[in-house]
Amino acid sequence: MADKQISKTAPKKGKWTRRAFIGAGVVAGGALVVGVAVRPGNPIDRLSPMLAKGDGEQLINAWVKIDADNIVTAIIPHVEMGQGIFTSLAQMLADELDADWSKVKILEAPADAKYVSHDIGREFLAPSLEVPAILEPTVGGTFLQLATAMNLQITGGSFSIRGTGQRAMRVAGAAAKEMLLAAAAEEWNVPAGELRAENSMILHDKSSKSAPFADFAAAAAEQGLPNKPKLKSPKDYKLMGKAIARTDIPEKSNGTALFGIDADLPGMKYAAVKAAPVVGATVESMNADTAKTMPGVLQILNMGNFIAVVADGYWQAEQALGTIEAKYSKTEGDTLDQDALFKRYATMLDEAGDKDGDVETEEGDVGEAFASAATKVEAEYKVPFLAHATMEPMNCTAWVRDGKCDVWSGHQAPLMARKAAADTLGIDMDDVTYHNAYLGGGFGRRSENDAIIMATRIAKAAKYPVKMIWSREEDTMQDHYRPSATSRFQGGLDKDGKAVSWSNIHTHLFDPQEAPTVPYYNIANHKIRKIDVPTHLRFGPWRSVDHSQHGFFIESFVDEMAHAAGKDGYAFRRELLAGSARHLAVLDKAAEMSGWDKPLPEGHGRGIAFVPSFGTIIAEVAEVDMTGKKPKVKKIFVAADPGFAVNPDGFAAQMESSIAYGLTATLFGEISVKDGAVQQSNFHDYPILRINEMPDVAVEIINGDHKRLGGAGEPGLPPLAPAVTNAIFAATGNRVRELPLSKVDFA
Amino acid sequence: MITLNVNGQAKEVDVDPATPILWVVRENLKMTGTKFGCGVALCGACTVHLDGKPIRSCSTPVSEADGKAITTIEGLAEEDGTFSKVQQAWVDQQVAQCGYCQSGQIMSATALLKNNSNPSDEQIDAAMAGNICRCGTYVRIRKAIKTAAGAPSETQEA
Amino acid sequence: MKVVFRASALVLVTTLAACGSDPAPEPTEQIVVREPGADVSDDAAPEPAGEATDSLVAAGKSAFNTCIACHVLEKGGANRIGPNLYGIIGQAAGSADGFKYSDAMASSGITWTKEELDSYLANPAAKVPGTTMMAGAISDGSRREAIIAYIEDASAN
Repeated sequence: MADKQISKTAPKKGKWTRRAFIGAGVVAGGALVVGVAVRPGNPIDRLSPMLAKGDGEQLINAWVKIDADNIVTAIIPHVEMGQGIFTSLAQMLADELDADWSKVKILEAPADAKYVSHDIGREFLAPSLEVPAILEPTVGGTFLQLATAMNLQITGGSFSIRGTGQRAMRVAGAAAKEMLLAAAAEEWNVPAGELRAENSMILHDKSSKSAPFADFAAAAAEQGLPNKPKLKSPKDYKLMGKAIARTDIPEKSNGTALFGIDADLPGMKYAAVKAAPVVGATVESMNADTAKTMPGVLQILNMGNFIAVVADGYWQAEQALGTIEAKYSKTEGDTLDQDALFKRYATMLDEAGDKDGDVETEEGDVGEAFASAATKVEAEYKVPFLAHATMEPMNCTAWVRDGKCDVWSGHQAPLMARKAAADTLGIDMDDVTYHNAYLGGGFGRRSENDAIIMATRIAKAAKYPVKMIWSREEDTMQDHYRPSATSRFQGGLDKDGKAVSWSNIHTHLFDPQEAPTVPYYNIANHKIRKIDVPTHLRFGPWRSVDHSQHGFFIESFVDEMAHAAGKDGYAFRRELLAGSARHLAVLDKAAEMSGWDKPLPEGHGRGIAFVPSFGTIIAEVAEVDMTGKKPKVKKIFVAADPGFAVNPDGFAAQMESSIAYGLTATLFGEISVKDGAVQQSNFHDYPILRINEMPDVAVEIINGDHKRLGGAGEPGLPPLAPAVTNAIFAATGNRVRELPLSKVDFA
Repeated sequence: MITLNVNGQAKEVDVDPATPILWVVRENLKMTGTKFGCGVALCGACTVHLDGKPIRSCSTPVSEADGKAITTIEGLAEEDGTFSKVQQAWVDQQVAQCGYCQSGQIMSATALLKNNSNPSDEQIDAAMAGNICRCGTYVRIRKAIKTAAGAPSETQEA
Repeated sequence: MKVVFRASALVLVTTLAACGSDPAPEPTEQIVVREPGADVSDDAAPEPAGEATDSLVAAGKSAFNTCIACHVLEKGGANRIGPNLYGIIGQAAGSADGFKYSDAMASSGITWTKEELDSYLANPAAKVPGTTMMAGAISDGSRREAIIAYIEDASAN
């Protein structure tokens, strides 16, 4: 029966249709369940044993479960790393279902391929691709296959709400409700149109009948599948758009929230590790004579690319590790330092000249437009490598025995972590159980598998459970960094000070593809190119990824052009955005919030920057006090249009967070390389913004288009650095073209 | 054997007296609310109280706790789980994001309010500058400290 | 507008996800000191720290373990999070070569006699308000005495 249902509703492989989001199957005991997924295929058969554990519980669909006590459980296929996604996604599902919020529980989806988030894969692969509706099935299908093959179950790209939330959580809630209503109509023998759902109850107003959802769960399973469940319009939202308190905050306020580093197993031991300081080098030899004699030490391992000490306690392991002297192999990276790297960028940019490099976007004729421009502006900008510095250092606990493996960690892509452990051991993915915990900060760092692989290898050698923890020094020196980069611009203005050409060439392109582009600015001729520059350091996604540097590059140069045109930075951007009502509304709001035209005290300045990213349009104004030895950032005004803010307080929190993260990078964030190795090691030489340096933050949200939602976790960051440096220019006339500000002498 | 007084309870542990309090609390006593962040007293994630004073447990040997009372994040709430005033303010102001540093933040804030029932912004900054939050929850930490101090402040919709 | 999508993002995701199908290599060297739960043999374990020691300097060396996360104590050794402490006794505060001191420490006017060191270690923040040495308070006077004796002894080498 299950197969019949599935074959009737499951689409052909590779099809991407609205209908394909909903599937059905039967779990043991005869109850039919409904599954909704953001991909074709049917998740139910394999998922049901993993999810329906309690007595009397029935799996209504892959994203929602209703048990006999009428508790609705929202199953969230993303990880919680501080962005409040558990609460926001549950809000979306519960609103469409008309569930009683006080009876909603939240469960993180298991690391199972059935939760592959292929919208995410698509977003990572071609983020700005606008697909004509008629082609969507094909494109979707292609990306599905890629994403599934690559085991993406990623939380990243600020995509959870706009992808999973819009396309799965809401559809799941609405579909489940329609099926419950249909079942109640049958049972009560009344037209379904006379029924409504409210607070996890089905109500029939005419007869004053009411009953909890749970009463109809089994019968709902017998109903046909809604082809296209009707989603609410904003006027009917009860939970979406409300500042609902996050469900994870109480346990994060009393020490009971469990992070990866808190994993605990019987007989577990602890490992401290030290990798070769230069990436790519191996440990040729180690002298562990002292370490062998130290208290608590169990094993000392040369793992090739790193050394591990396993001991009864972590501190003992770390103490013993500190006594080991190692010799490392020579690599090509050994001779590299930061200046040489920037010189390499410069040489390669010189070589590319006006013609070479990969063209990212091109329109008109920049060569001609620039040559004939009344005013020419040229500038070069630089940014350094940046580490993520999550507060929870990288760590992972693994137990390898009997051909199987259990892994505990906090990872942004649990399925990838599971696959990494399986590949490391050369065993089947089915023999690996991956346990995800809260992430003590992600910011892109926890999408890498290095810690998973290291812990799995140690645990395999030790044969008992081992918790591997990186020291802060390892965490800083062995990151996958935001790349250092150089970007060069040429801009042309006509005699009226109107921008007529925009030409840019920069090093590296990582992700998102549109980060260096400015399609929202009306500039008739533009050409944007990139060159790839090999470096031995590892790159990785860092909060807002390429937008983190291009926001600074682009919005600094726009300000330079405004200045050259003799125009105010706000007025100049208004011209560039003419005709884009949503964009202008955001820009105007930020200016209005900041009192843009009001005078500031002597030595203070205001700067504005505008960067749409991850589907959200943001303008920020910074107010900076330059009367002291160092810049003091006083206030940040944020105007943001995310389409619709599902949880406005959570959205505002992400803006505050992005500002703190971005300001750390702006003021003092710098990872530098000497003799091939990262020079920074802990918070004394890689400082993080502290509370006394945190500006006041004001956030205003514009709900500009409830059908096209944007992200929250990243888009607040890119405008921050240029808003600050533009403010410094306004206050002092000093144009900052290289970050961080700690390198600049303002005295 | 070392006898410790942790959250009002006597605990015996068999460790090297030089072991930092952090690891004794986390590994020997299995109380994991206190976090490891930097190992060198730069970030405050490991903050606990020793006789009511905030200390960095990652850099304080357990021998220092001899004859003194250790209080950890697990010891702040009432026995029935009712949150302390500071903890409740943290919930009311929706402070935590990833949450990893918040045990240390709450311990520092609790110590501050014990000595100063109505701290100014500057006093809050001075007392809390040793605690790093990478999610940048500082704006809300300031608000929550004021809420706990009884100052009027808007709260979130529950 | 001509938009050219390059393969780099695809490469990124592929790199993120692709792990070789060959299992990771075994350790090149594995020293098993003992199995968990096995008795600690005499030669594997040195005398436990904190036991009676035959000299103040030896006790100080053990107690100095608290300090080594931030300080080295060797001639010409690099400053870490804290300054190199070699030869500190008798020196003016804030004078280790190349170390970036807090304003408070640099302008404290202290000369590090043994007595001054003792009162600083007892409560650094009280002795030099504004010091960046957030940790290191040692309440036990005999441990302070031992640490200072060890610093003096090591500086004589």
